[in-house]
Amino acid sequence: MDDIQEILEDFLIEAFELIEQLDQDLVELESNPEDLELLNSIFRVAHTVKGSSSFLSFDVLTKLTHHMEDVLNKARKGELKITEDVMDVVLESIDMMKTLLHCIRDNGNDTAIGMQLDDIIARLEAVSEGKEIPEEATKSEVVEKSEPEVDTTPEPEVEEASESSDTEDYSSMSDDEVEAEIERLLNEKREETKKKKAIKKEVHQEAPAKADSTVAAPTAAAPTPPAKKQASTLEQTIRVEVNRLDHLMNLIGELVLGKNRLLKIYDDVEERYEGEKFLEELNQVVSAISLVTTDLQIAVMKTRMLPIAKVFNKFPRMVRDLSRELGKGIELKISGEETELDKSIVEEIGDPLVHIIRNSCDHGVEDGDTREALGKNKTGLIELKAYNEGNSIVIEITDDGKGLDADLLRSKAIERGMISEQEADSMSDREAFALIFKPAFSMAAKVTNVSGRGVGMDVVKTNIEKLNGIIEIDSEIGKGTVIKMKIPLTLAIIQALLVGAQEEFYAIPLASVSETVRISLDEIYTVEGRNVLRLRDEVLSLVRLSDIFGVKQVYEPGEHTYVVVIGLAESKLGIIVDTLVGQEETVIKSMGDYLQGIDGIAGATIRGDGGVTLIVDIASLMEMAKGLKVNIRESMQSKAKKKTSPEDYTVLVVDDSKMDRTIMKKSMEPIGLKTIEASNGQEALTMLKSGEHDIDVILIDIEMPRMDGYTLATEIRKYSRYKKLPLIAVTSRTSKADRLRGVESGMTEYITKPYSPEYLENVVRKNTNLIAE
Amino acid sequence: MSDKLNQIFQKQQKQIDGPDKADEDIIQLVGFVVGEEEYAIPILNIVEIIKPIEFTRVPSVPEYVLGVFNIRGSVIPLIDLRRRFNLPPVNNTGDTRYIVMKGEGNTAGFVIDRLTEAIRIKRNRIDPAPETVSSEKGMIYGIGKREDSMLTILKVEALLKRDF
Repeated sequence: MDDIQEILEDFLIEAFELIEQLDQDLVELESNPEDLELLNSIFRVAHTVKGSSSFLSFDVLTKLTHHMEDVLNKARKGELKITEDVMDVVLESIDMMKTLLHCIRDNGNDTAIGMQLDDIIARLEAVSEGKEIPEEATKSEVVEKSEPEVDTTPEPEVEEASESSDTEDYSSMSDDEVEAEIERLLNEKREETKKKKAIKKEVHQEAPAKADSTVAAPTAAAPTPPAKKQASTLEQTIRVEVNRLDHLMNLIGELVLGKNRLLKIYDDVEERYEGEKFLEELNQVVSAISLVTTDLQIAVMKTRMLPIAKVFNKFPRMVRDLSRELGKGIELKISGEETELDKSIVEEIGDPLVHIIRNSCDHGVEDGDTREALGKNKTGLIELKAYNEGNSIVIEITDDGKGLDADLLRSKAIERGMISEQEADSMSDREAFALIFKPAFSMAAKVTNVSGRGVGMDVVKTNIEKLNGIIEIDSEIGKGTVIKMKIPLTLAIIQALLVGAQEEFYAIPLASVSETVRISLDEIYTVEGRNVLRLRDEVLSLVRLSDIFGVKQVYEPGEHTYVVVIGLAESKLGIIVDTLVGQEETVIKSMGDYLQGIDGIAGATIRGDGGVTLIVDIASLMEMAKGLKVNIRESMQSKAKKKTSPEDYTVLVVDDSKMDRTIMKKSMEPIGLKTIEASNGQEALTMLKSGEHDIDVILIDIEMPRMDGYTLATEIRKYSRYKKLPLIAVTSRTSKADRLRGVESGMTEYITKPYSPEYLENVVRKNTNLIAE
Repeated sequence: MSDKLNQIFQKQQKQIDGPDKADEDIIQLVGFVVGEEEYAIPILNIVEIIKPIEFTRVPSVPEYVLGVFNIRGSVIPLIDLRRRFNLPPVNNTGDTRYIVMKGEGNTAGFVIDRLTEAIRIKRNRIDPAPETVSSEKGMIYGIGKREDSMLTILKVEALLKRDF
């Protein structure tokens, strides 16, 4: 009972939303009758309302929308021109649809206002068959006649309708069985309405309600207890605009970034003021804030999460009704309904699922006799399954019906002029299956109440695209069809593993990482052009992150390297990275329309230091890895270019005194090295970063303006490609403390002034491996 | 020195006088140099102008998209106008700036060689773009004629449009 109520509520919310859009679209259509996109979207509204209402047994509404659909469908196909007259009728039918929806909202059924549909249907039919002006006069009369009826009847008839049971008028098209069934359901619904009214009364009377409810009890014994429950749950929930939650989520995203930054600063401070007392206090504050931020984030995320059962719940009923209507035995098996996902996704996923399941029932599953003849179980089976996979949720709809015929799809598409024969020839089966998502493409032989207009799958595609999801169809003739929808959990905040590829950093969603291993280059084998690694008893394909993203190679990797093992569905891939930085909470930020949908990149995040790091899109990365053919071992072992003669080497001399620079240059002359100069640390750093010169040794004076030698050394060592670059301090500072600081900042050698040119020469020779002849 | 000062005074005076002389249909632009030529864009499209900061390279994009950078919490693409106009790239100098521009829903930073000045120009002094311009195809809104020079006024919408 509660389920139905919930579904009904969803239906109403959805329908009113759709209608709001419809009003705008229709107004636009009138001024722009040729707009196919607009017509399509109006048509989809009618189609969706029809689908949902027929499932909820609102027969009046179904009948009305079915006829509307007919007209709109013709218009959409260009068989009918949208004239003012046509528009009048369509608009009027939409108004009636609205009235019916209001009636459903207020009374719980669509019969309460006793709307007469015969004349509007007659006119819709006339319009759709292209008959025109002759009806004009009668039309306007009928409109006037029918309208007062709609306006005046509601109030008195509400009570009557809920007592009377004459619904035959509206279901005359169905057979007796269905009729009886509908009647039974209507009765149920009426009971419900009554109960609701009882509840309403209670809620209104609040305080003195106790006495009243005991009075009401005998008349309706059962409803009283649930009524109380409902009244109390009313107070415990609150409807919040999604916009507000989104805003909250954005703010928390910013807070997380702030927290990351705070953590980084704390690390720096800790290093510099080791042992200071205030550190303890700072530590407490930082951890408290980071804890609260995390909790807050989870709390808000949870407010947005709903179990997918909310959507799945309405399908058993729908399949049951459909199977009766179609005269087929169909069983629906649901699993994974507890899978939680973001509210926005739950809302968007409903429509596509309705259409897919309807299609499976109507076109997929064969009727009982055919099935028996084929040796299948007489009852068809549709499985609905939801599960998490990495950063996405997957919803699978499997039927054991007749499957899709790729060749038939191709020829049908050619027949309709959607593709050329050439295109059809080069189409893979899977591409051919995807044809069913084209608007106005239908395989059904005739248009039924259930499906066959070629709009449903268009709805599916549109909605899934909106969610950045992927749809995959697998089908085998005679065996059945699997439709797999993969929807990213567009949760704004994710845990990520930060990795370094040469000088660049990337964030890999942690949910997709199964492990990280450190391997030696010797462990990489090449099999048929693929790079593989034997990991325990598995063979793992390898690919280098630098190759996928075309990262410029700036330094030679060592003998060892790291492999991040990522998993997606049943496939695994090892990604070779140069460094593992650590785990971090990342807030996914879009890079704007301009950079949307870049291969392999899901988005970007802002790091603690204010820099931007790109987030890897695992699925598309795996796709990219397939096309890659690089012999990793070879390319990692081959040295860039060998330096042999002294002229290949470059020495950067950093000193603020021109004279000192000249002395150093003179000492280099016997070796024959190339020398370049910089007058302070800042300048040297800029030269190094510009990459204009390939510098092999740097001679650094300590005392310099703008940036001293220690700072320069520290800065240089921050770049992993300069981790091994020889830095030689040449200074007049001789104290032990100075030497120590030199070592700390990353100097390789420490030479004190004055020095003999030969000594300097030797030190440089040693560091460049240029042995004196 | 005093000559130069006078020039500046005169220029300022001109700018103050400007709006009085013809207050209808004046476009305010910001001028900048890329390569050898001076370009301009409407001042209202500019979010801000900043000195070069660190950016992150983005893979599989055309060369002229240098990457993305962070500007107060937003991640924004950085586009090198030199490369966009098929000019050879140069290293940043002290005059290099990023101009952050905003169009319909899109925002991006553009690397320019140096800024020139704020410009007021009458609409009737702007000629439509010549038809035979290859490298800046479609990106030009018009050519502004000034006393001593020509000014290429760029179409911000076109600059912000992804064409890859």
